[in-house]
Amino acid sequence: MTNAIIIVSGLPRSGTSLMMQLLAAGGIPTLTDHIRAPDPDNPRGYYEFERVKKVKTDSAWLSEARGHAVKMVSQLLFDLPGHETYRVLFMDRDLDEVLISQEKMLTRLGRPVANRQDLKHAFRLHLSRVHKWLSEQPNFGVLRVGYADLVTRPADEIARINAFLGHRLDEQRAASAIDPALYRNRKASTVSHNCALPKVD
Amino acid sequence: MPKVHIETALYDRAKKAADATGYSSLEEFIAHCIENELKKLKIDEAEDQVSKQLRGLGYIE
Repeated sequence: MTNAIIIVSGLPRSGTSLMMQLLAAGGIPTLTDHIRAPDPDNPRGYYEFERVKKVKTDSAWLSEARGHAVKMVSQLLFDLPGHETYRVLFMDRDLDEVLISQEKMLTRLGRPVANRQDLKHAFRLHLSRVHKWLSEQPNFGVLRVGYADLVTRPADEIARINAFLGHRLDEQRAASAIDPALYRNRKASTVSHNCALPKVD
Repeated sequence: MPKVHIETALYDRAKKAADATGYSSLEEFIAHCIENELKKLKIDEAEDQVSKQLRGLGYIE
C-alpha cells in the first residue's frame, strides 16, 4: 500500500484542496508545484501539480508520485495508466454548493458562467460515469469522503481516511488542517453524499 | 466491431419491432434506439459542458 499513489479527486470546489492540506498536515508527502498561488477562492493554496493535466500523454512523473498524494480533477482519472496502483480519496459535496462556488470563481476570473441546471445534470452524469468506471478498475481503491462530514465530524472521517491509507496518517495533526470557517457557500441544510449516483429519467 | 449481449427474450422483441416498423435490419433498429436515448439524455452535450467548465476553471487543458 505504501507504493500506491494517493489520488485526491472530485469536482472542482468539492474540498480536494482541504483534503490535500489535511494529508500534508498528517504527514503524507504531497506532489505539488505551487504554480497556482493561493487566492480568495483557496486562501490556503491549491496543492496542484500542473503535469496532471497532461497525464494522458505524459505519465512519466507517476513513478515519483508513489507513496505521495496528488490532486486530480475527476475527469482526468480516466487517463491514468493501468500499471500503477491508486488509492483514491474522492470528495463528495452537495452539487448546488459546488456550482455556487464554481460560479463565484468563474466570475472572479472574468469567465462566463453556464446555466446551473444544465451543469448540474451534466455533472450528475459525469459523476455516475466516473464512479461506475472506478468500480471496474482492479488497480483502484476508492474511499468517498463527504465534504460536509469532514468539516462537521473531522475525527470520525479522518479515522476512516487513515484506515483506508494503511494507518500512515497522524490523525491529530491532520485534524488541525480543518477550519470550519472555510466552509463557505454552504446550503441551509446540507445533506452529504448527495452527489451519489443519480437516477436518470 | 464491438458486440453487446442481450437476453434472448429482449432480442426476440426487438426483432419483432424492427420487422414491424420497416427497419432494414435489427442492427439498424438497435442503433436508432441507442441514438434516440443518447439524444434524450444529452450525454454528448453533458460531456462537453463538463469539459468546458473544468477548462474555464483551469483544471484541464
